[in-house]
Amino acid sequence: MESSALSRYVSRHVTGLTPLVVLSLLLIAAFVMMNAAAQNSALFGRLYSVLLLVNILGVLLLLALILLNLLHFVEQYRARVMGTRLTLRLMLMFVVLAVLPVSVVFFFSIQTLNRGIDNWFDVRIERALDDALLLGRTALDALKLDLVKNTQEMAAELEMLPVREKLVPGRSELSLLSLLREQYNITELTLFSQDGRIIASVSEANFETGSLVPSRPSDTVLTQARQGQTYANIDAIGKSGLRMRVVIPVRTRDVSAPLRVLQVLQALPPRYTKLGESVQTAFAEYEKLVYLRGPLKFGFTLTLSLIALLTLLIAVWAAIFSARHLTTPIRELAEGTRAVARGDYQMQIPVTSTDEIGILVGSFNEMTHRIHRAQTQTKRSQQEAEIQRAYLETVLGHLSSGVLTFNQRLLLRTHNAAAGQILGADLKSAERKSLAWLSETYPALRPLTEIVQRAAAAGENEWQTQIQLSVNNQRRTLMLHGTSLPSWRGKRGGYVVVFDDITMLIQAQRDAAWGEVARRMAHEIRNPLTPIQLSAERIRHKYLGAVSEDERNALDRATRTIIEQVEALKSMVKDFSEYARSAQMQSQPVDLNGLIRDVVELYRNEHGQAIEGVVPLRRAAEKNDLVRLLRPMTTKLHLDADLPRISADPGRLRQVLHNLLINAHDALASTANPQIRINTRLVAKNVHRFVELKVQDNGPGFPEALLSRLYEPYVTTKEKGTGLGLAIVKRIVEEHGGTIHVENLAERGASVIIRLPVGESTLAGNASDDLSPARAEKDVRHGRHAYGPKDGKA
Amino acid sequence: MDFIMRALVSGDWRLVAAAVLALGFTSEVTAEFKVTDVQPKFVEKSLILAGNLDLGLSPKVEEALGKGIPLDVVIDIQLYRQRRFFWDKKITFWAVQRRIQYHALSGQYLVSSGTGDREIRESLLTLSEALKQLGALNDLKLELPELHAEDGYSVDIRVSLDIEALPTPLRPVAYTSFAWHLNSGWTSWKVVH
Repeated sequence: MESSALSRYVSRHVTGLTPLVVLSLLLIAAFVMMNAAAQNSALFGRLYSVLLLVNILGVLLLLALILLNLLHFVEQYRARVMGTRLTLRLMLMFVVLAVLPVSVVFFFSIQTLNRGIDNWFDVRIERALDDALLLGRTALDALKLDLVKNTQEMAAELEMLPVREKLVPGRSELSLLSLLREQYNITELTLFSQDGRIIASVSEANFETGSLVPSRPSDTVLTQARQGQTYANIDAIGKSGLRMRVVIPVRTRDVSAPLRVLQVLQALPPRYTKLGESVQTAFAEYEKLVYLRGPLKFGFTLTLSLIALLTLLIAVWAAIFSARHLTTPIRELAEGTRAVARGDYQMQIPVTSTDEIGILVGSFNEMTHRIHRAQTQTKRSQQEAEIQRAYLETVLGHLSSGVLTFNQRLLLRTHNAAAGQILGADLKSAERKSLAWLSETYPALRPLTEIVQRAAAAGENEWQTQIQLSVNNQRRTLMLHGTSLPSWRGKRGGYVVVFDDITMLIQAQRDAAWGEVARRMAHEIRNPLTPIQLSAERIRHKYLGAVSEDERNALDRATRTIIEQVEALKSMVKDFSEYARSAQMQSQPVDLNGLIRDVVELYRNEHGQAIEGVVPLRRAAEKNDLVRLLRPMTTKLHLDADLPRISADPGRLRQVLHNLLINAHDALASTANPQIRINTRLVAKNVHRFVELKVQDNGPGFPEALLSRLYEPYVTTKEKGTGLGLAIVKRIVEEHGGTIHVENLAERGASVIIRLPVGESTLAGNASDDLSPARAEKDVRHGRHAYGPKDGKA
Repeated sequence: MDFIMRALVSGDWRLVAAAVLALGFTSEVTAEFKVTDVQPKFVEKSLILAGNLDLGLSPKVEEALGKGIPLDVVIDIQLYRQRRFFWDKKITFWAVQRRIQYHALSGQYLVSSGTGDREIRESLLTLSEALKQLGALNDLKLELPELHAEDGYSVDIRVSLDIEALPTPLRPVAYTSFAWHLNSGWTSWKVVH
């Protein structure tokens, strides 16, 4: 956070254009002024040092800013920020472009400058100036010597004057001095006593006006004079020019008298003064220049170096600035492409310029916009396809028909739930597998795969056929519809195979046919039976006593046989009519458990013990004369106490139980430890609730061959019997809207499972009518699936 | 340290800078300018400074002088009223400029002080004489504002070579060379009534 804020601050305030321009202008202005100052301009001369300082500080500041920029840049470079490599290249290019010419110019400038400055100083000029100075000095020396000579003469004159004790300037000294001054044309004459006091002084009227006090020689000079030496020199006295000063001692004849000192000041003639000053000035200036040559070179070199440095730094800064300016849109573009690569198509880059990069950025924006639009469209169509697919899947999944699709290489592509159920195969694992694999893994499906293979080989577009499959030992009849899928790009489009399990339909048709046969037969046979019986009884009654003993026996046997067989026929006809009887149900709430107990009570075996839940059973006498000797066997009841009442016809249910128990009994005829188990329980399946009745025995079970035709009439394993028992049971169960399922138990024995719907109170009576055949079929199928297909017997 | 304090109080940044510079340089540079003997006293309404400033030139400066470069010497004088429980109060200050120059024709050194009409020029034969003349205070008379006679006063004196008065090309050299840094630093003297 902090670093990003810092970098933002840096990029806005430190690397922006404004500080660069301001600082550059400031520095250029300072250099212009410094240059002027170096040329001895009066205005800038005073500011020279300040300007120099400002420039150095400015350059340092610029340097610091550039360093900050470079640090910032290095940080970005390390972080591999997009565009930094380009920036680096541009910066290097700029710097090289700036350094080379600046270096060349700098080098030659320094050379030229040094040579130029050296050229100012000519040996001949120097010699001439020296000579001029020497000439001036010589000329002045000549004058000086004259003056010294004159002064000595004046001193000789003054020696004549007696030394008085009183130092009151006497007339004699003054008049003599005045005389001497005029005589020698001296500017100022002063006589000093030994201790330096002025004795007398005369001067030219116009000499040093305003100065009443005569100029004193310095103490050194006075001392020199007192020691008897002569001092003669030229004084430089500011505006009034040059003058000569000669100081000499004035001796007296009297040895004991104090020494006096005479000073002569002689102003040089104006011409001498002018020329002397000129020579002095020129010489001084030249000397100064010669001396300043070194510092001047230093100063110019400094200025030039600063300017070169400034140029370099500004170049570097400009490089950084322009590189950033150039690479910003490129970096943004790169970031944009990265974003696109990541899948973000909503990236839009601000267009900041109208040049080629601006056009590029515009094109990029247009591109991402289009991609975004296309992608949105793709997504939408994908969604639509998804919805379509889900819709199809739902429809297929809830279709009762099985659907299989194969691709052009006849690999299984799709399948629905019903297909798996009908074929009894795990089609999930068969996906993308060939037909051969399918027939190998599920040999029962071989007829199906063969048909599809053949149809595909023949290139039939539409076909329909009926096949028989033995799925899990249950024979199923399937109606197959095959259609080739539309081809695409010249390739064959594969196949879709739709099939229905029509086993139940065929069964129902067969049941209906049998019902009709039974009804006709009952009707046709029952009519002649009574006359036959009556006739046989009449013959017996009429002729039994009339025939002889031998014949009587034969007659008796014959008529009895007739009567018995007719009775048997009647019983059979009754069964048939029972079977064929149309549904006329008397529905009422029935307690199934109570019904079971009632029926089982009929079979109670007196010799058996009645333990809780265990009823010893003995077959009760049939209504017909056929009384079977029944062996005692155990019947176990496991009845669900919470079983709800169901809407059913109790009479018919009683018949169902009756038939099942008889079947079980018959099956147990040769079993060592015969046992029958009757269970009831409540089963909830989906939203439907069923009451389940299960009757199991431990007999030999149903023969495999009969399993698919168990419910057909005349399908039986018993020596006696019509084979109508299970058929009737099935009919009654179906009339109640229930399902029946028969299977052989794994260990030993058979099981018959009946499920009757627990109708809502409003459904009472017409519950069975509500169940459409398709629904019934489906329930049957479900039941079969739930219990696992097992063989049964009638 | 006292003069730094005073400079700080005075609020004059140049003084502060000078004081800090002086502190920085006095230890390293052989100070060839020295204020050795000053007798300040009040006479009527003026401050009279008697005494001498010991001015010695480094060889480089001497060479420049010999080549005709005029040297300017500034004598900074500050008058303080002494206070017992507070730092001394600065009353006023003066800056006296003097110049020494070599006159090639006559081979003399010209020492000038004062400006304009009051300029006094003297020509001296030797450098030592000229420097002595340059450093001689000669009862320098300075005009005073109204003062409380009973208070104690002190005078701070410093003498230095004025680099800004040098010819322009010489200034960078002078600023960057210790040889050109001639500065006595501040010295404090009690004023006699």
